[in-house]
Amino acid sequence: MQQTAEVSAATYQERIAKLQEAMKEFGLQAVVLEPGPAMMYLTGVRWGKSERTFAVVLPAKGGPVWVLPGFEEMRARELIHPGDDIRIWQEDESPYQRIVEGLKDRGVSSGRVGIDEAARFFVFDGIRKLAPKLDYVGAQQVLKAAGVDTTQAPGRGRGR
Amino acid sequence: MNRRTFLTTAAAGIAHVASAQSVPDAIRNLRPMTGGIQPITDDERRARIEKARKLMRENKLGALVLEGGSSLYYFTGTRWPQSDRTFACVLPASGEPAWIVPEADQDRAHQAIRMGTDLRTWKEEEGPYKKLVQVLKGISRVGIEERVRFAVFDGLRKEAPALEFVSGDPVTIGCRVIKSPAEIALLQRANDITIAAYKAAFATLHKGMPQRELSANISAAYRALGAPGNAMIIFGKYTAFPHGSIQPQTLHEGDVVLVDDGCTVEGYQSDITRTTVFGRPTERQRQVWNLERKAQDAALAAARPGATCESVDAAARKVITDGGFGPGYKVPGLPHRTGHGIGLDGHEWTNLVRGNQTRLEPGMCFSNEPTIAIYGEFGVRLEDCMYITEDGARMFTKQSPAIDRPFG
Repeated sequence: MQQTAEVSAATYQERIAKLQEAMKEFGLQAVVLEPGPAMMYLTGVRWGKSERTFAVVLPAKGGPVWVLPGFEEMRARELIHPGDDIRIWQEDESPYQRIVEGLKDRGVSSGRVGIDEAARFFVFDGIRKLAPKLDYVGAQQVLKAAGVDTTQAPGRGRGR
Repeated sequence: MNRRTFLTTAAAGIAHVASAQSVPDAIRNLRPMTGGIQPITDDERRARIEKARKLMRENKLGALVLEGGSSLYYFTGTRWPQSDRTFACVLPASGEPAWIVPEADQDRAHQAIRMGTDLRTWKEEEGPYKKLVQVLKGISRVGIEERVRFAVFDGLRKEAPALEFVSGDPVTIGCRVIKSPAEIALLQRANDITIAAYKAAFATLHKGMPQRELSANISAAYRALGAPGNAMIIFGKYTAFPHGSIQPQTLHEGDVVLVDDGCTVEGYQSDITRTTVFGRPTERQRQVWNLERKAQDAALAAARPGATCESVDAAARKVITDGGFGPGYKVPGLPHRTGHGIGLDGHEWTNLVRGNQTRLEPGMCFSNEPTIAIYGEFGVRLEDCMYITEDGARMFTKQSPAIDRPFG
């Protein structure tokens, strides 16, 4: 495996802070990301997309909320730093419930939420069914304003 | 289980390096197993589209919108990578498929499209959504295929805010969940090839072997056998992580060895796990392995037509719980569902999981893989795929008979 330069934890914090500034400008309460270039750039976490929802909620105020499958928690904790708010869903539970709870706990129960434009329809649809009053918009512009390059293929981050 | 989506590129790169170096002759000399494969016919695809139309009417959907992906391939035989330049297909409840194609790709699109002749190209300056909405004229409720990207949905709703966009799952799942004899034959071939690749590669295990050497051997075996595929390799205590760990592993005497994933034949996926021990298994390893096998047997016996999906999961889980693990998803025990649907996607609807009251029907295909995970020690997973017949479930592959004889 090729090595790439280590990105420090402080750099990820700065990148998220910059996104939070941009969210305020764009009037967004939070951004929800599936695995991909934006998640990689902002958090260093690289994860394969599967039918099992794995997502990060980045609120305009407060720390990230991670939502992931229960049986993947050990593997995920190898990658997520700091992992101080990881919420698991078991196989017969709804990941969207966890996402919506995460939004609520960060004070997001109305207003606009940015959705990763590469997110799959079923993930968005699962969230909107549980939180139909939120206004969901594409996150491309706010990510761009925060300097997140979503066109780049993800490189090697903290894990595969 | 598989993590194929993100292992594909990594494994391909590694395999390339290894093929130049040290792939054993026994693997290099494997012969292709692809003779006599019967691809899905366009007639079968037309019948799928007809069934989709019926399901659209039943679910009050005027059309289904798809991007490139497994559902598009299922219905139309067209493969197309998702990119910034939106390429979409509309399957209307009545009428022929319509295609929305970037102008720059139109020649390639003409070659790739087999179903329907209604191609509408869009120019960079106008974008795809006007054309897409024109196709949907007269329709009020539109199904969106599950893996369509948010950006495409968002472009559509901005262009046509009065339309209602809902999940297209009742249509796509309703069609894809039942496999035809032609599909089962392709799945059978993919499963046979995976067993052949594993058998050859397991014979190459040696002390000090890094994971990547074994995965390179399996990829090389797949190349020789004529079907692209790769494998997730886990050694030792990390076998307790159902999808492994980022910690690099080399093979030691007494390590549990777990190999998972599969290959692709005409788009159809295999997904098989074998677990064994390098060297002499301990009594504990044997006991857990035997319990795992009993759990897999229980799921197989429970998977009869008319049974609910959750009852199959419960049957496997009961064996593991009765063996002193769990309960529920608690580890040490079975931390995930017992199985998933499989077809053109390695994981597809529907799942053998608590809460799923869908009843099994002939033609459904599932993985049967009740892992036993013991963190700090090891994990065992035996995974074979099975298809449902009128008489019960049949495995595509011979189950692993014993911990020290993974293939009998």
